[in-house]
Amino acid sequence: MNRLFNLALLLGIGAAVIASFIYLGIDLGELGSTGNLNQMGAYAQRFLSPDLSPTHLQAIAHGALETIAMSALGTLIAAVFGLLLALPAAGRFGWPLQSASRLVLNALRAVPELVWAALMVLAAGLGPNAGTLALALHTTGVLGRLFAEALENTPPEPADAIRLQGGNAVWAFCYGTLPNLLPQLLAYILYRWENNIRMASVLGFVGAGGLGQMLYVSLSLFQEAQASTVILAMLILVFAVDTLSSWSRQRWVKA
Amino acid sequence: MTLHLTQISLTHANGVQALRGVDLHIGAREQVAIIGPSGAGKSSLLNLLATALRPGDGELQVLGERAWQLSAGQRQRLRARIGLIHQSPPLPPRQRVVTAVLAGKLGQWGLGKSLLNLLYPLDIPGARAALARLDLSDKLFTQCQQLSGGQLQRVGIARVLYQAPEVLLADEPVSAMDPVLAKHTLSVLCSHAREHNVTLVASLHAVELALAHFSRIIGLRDGQILFDLPASAVDRELLDTLYANEQLERSPPPPAHLSVQIPRC
Repeated sequence: MNRLFNLALLLGIGAAVIASFIYLGIDLGELGSTGNLNQMGAYAQRFLSPDLSPTHLQAIAHGALETIAMSALGTLIAAVFGLLLALPAAGRFGWPLQSASRLVLNALRAVPELVWAALMVLAAGLGPNAGTLALALHTTGVLGRLFAEALENTPPEPADAIRLQGGNAVWAFCYGTLPNLLPQLLAYILYRWENNIRMASVLGFVGAGGLGQMLYVSLSLFQEAQASTVILAMLILVFAVDTLSSWSRQRWVKA
Repeated sequence: MTLHLTQISLTHANGVQALRGVDLHIGAREQVAIIGPSGAGKSSLLNLLATALRPGDGELQVLGERAWQLSAGQRQRLRARIGLIHQSPPLPPRQRVVTAVLAGKLGQWGLGKSLLNLLYPLDIPGARAALARLDLSDKLFTQCQQLSGGQLQRVGIARVLYQAPEVLLADEPVSAMDPVLAKHTLSVLCSHAREHNVTLVASLHAVELALAHFSRIIGLRDGQILFDLPASAVDRELLDTLYANEQLERSPPPPAHLSVQIPRC
């Protein structure tokens, strides 16, 4: 009985695979024919000669700078607002504010950066403004939630001790909670910044500035040489940021 | 009267009755030791005196004020005049010793000073002087997590010395120190109290230390005061009744370990 069921399941999966090919009209045989292989070779060939002219490199440097600035500013804004929302979300000001701020954080986080960017392009116009806002909005949701969790996991005793010496709640937070919390916050911020640089280089596809916008424009005009330079620049940028970020985490956070 | 307890009862949230009908009067400049078996309510009594715990029943007067009938702001001002030394000082592991000590005066400092001190320690000589009395002035710029349990306890004491309160409460202040250091630290506490006209109340589990340094001894058992006598009147028989059938001492809970999660992708 069991074997029969397994056999039926196997046949079902096979039928589903064949049906998918028929429905989508994909012809794998086509992929191996000589004419198509030549075409693929030629397409890849055009990408293998990147445009390294000074004017284009200058434009790319400008775009890369814009991408870095967008991600850094977006992350910074998100860190500030994330912390402001994390305090009520960790239940510091009673449950009504806790539920409300959690709802806001979840809503911000549920909408992806690209959708925020598309919305912001409509609101703030084309360019890096929209990209920065989009990154800030999504990252506020992510960082706010991570910060709130970190706040809930921080031992309350040091802050309680300062309250017991007559210090007010703000100083209890600054002197009792923050020293434990700060490395964790820093680690989260650096991690999100790293993510955001990668994201910022794509956001240009919906018109939100940076390297992505250059790539989109070159690809739309079939300028493969220029596009390949942009892709190279993206790779270098992301690699550099990964290195910088892991170095700074080792330096300041010391896990 | 500095500390005035009338028929105080205290029940913890988990239903354990820590204190039952305690009457206690401690005058200004008195030096009192509280002894008793584990679970007798020594910590509860000290936390109650520090206004960390609210009594379920009875009246608590500290420095002439009814602590739990004050407004929250007035109570914070009262708390700035009370110093509590914790058994395992709750200091943030990454905080520097100098900041931890200077935090003692947060209840007395204004906004600007507290904020500036966060960026740069403002009263390094003051912190150094408090630590020097406990032989720790070389650890001024060390992080708290690099100190041993005994050193951490001394930092906690230095913080309260720097706070300069009018009432000094100490909950097992020397439990993590070796006998020589414990003796030295207790004499520092007692002489500080004498010099600055401070009322000192300390709980101790080492009876010999209590008898040697304090003039008045209170024996606490099952949340009630068994005896309240001058040190010279405490004899073997009384102590045997106090510690009769004592269970094996519970080890103090390990200090909270701080771990940082670094997300990797």
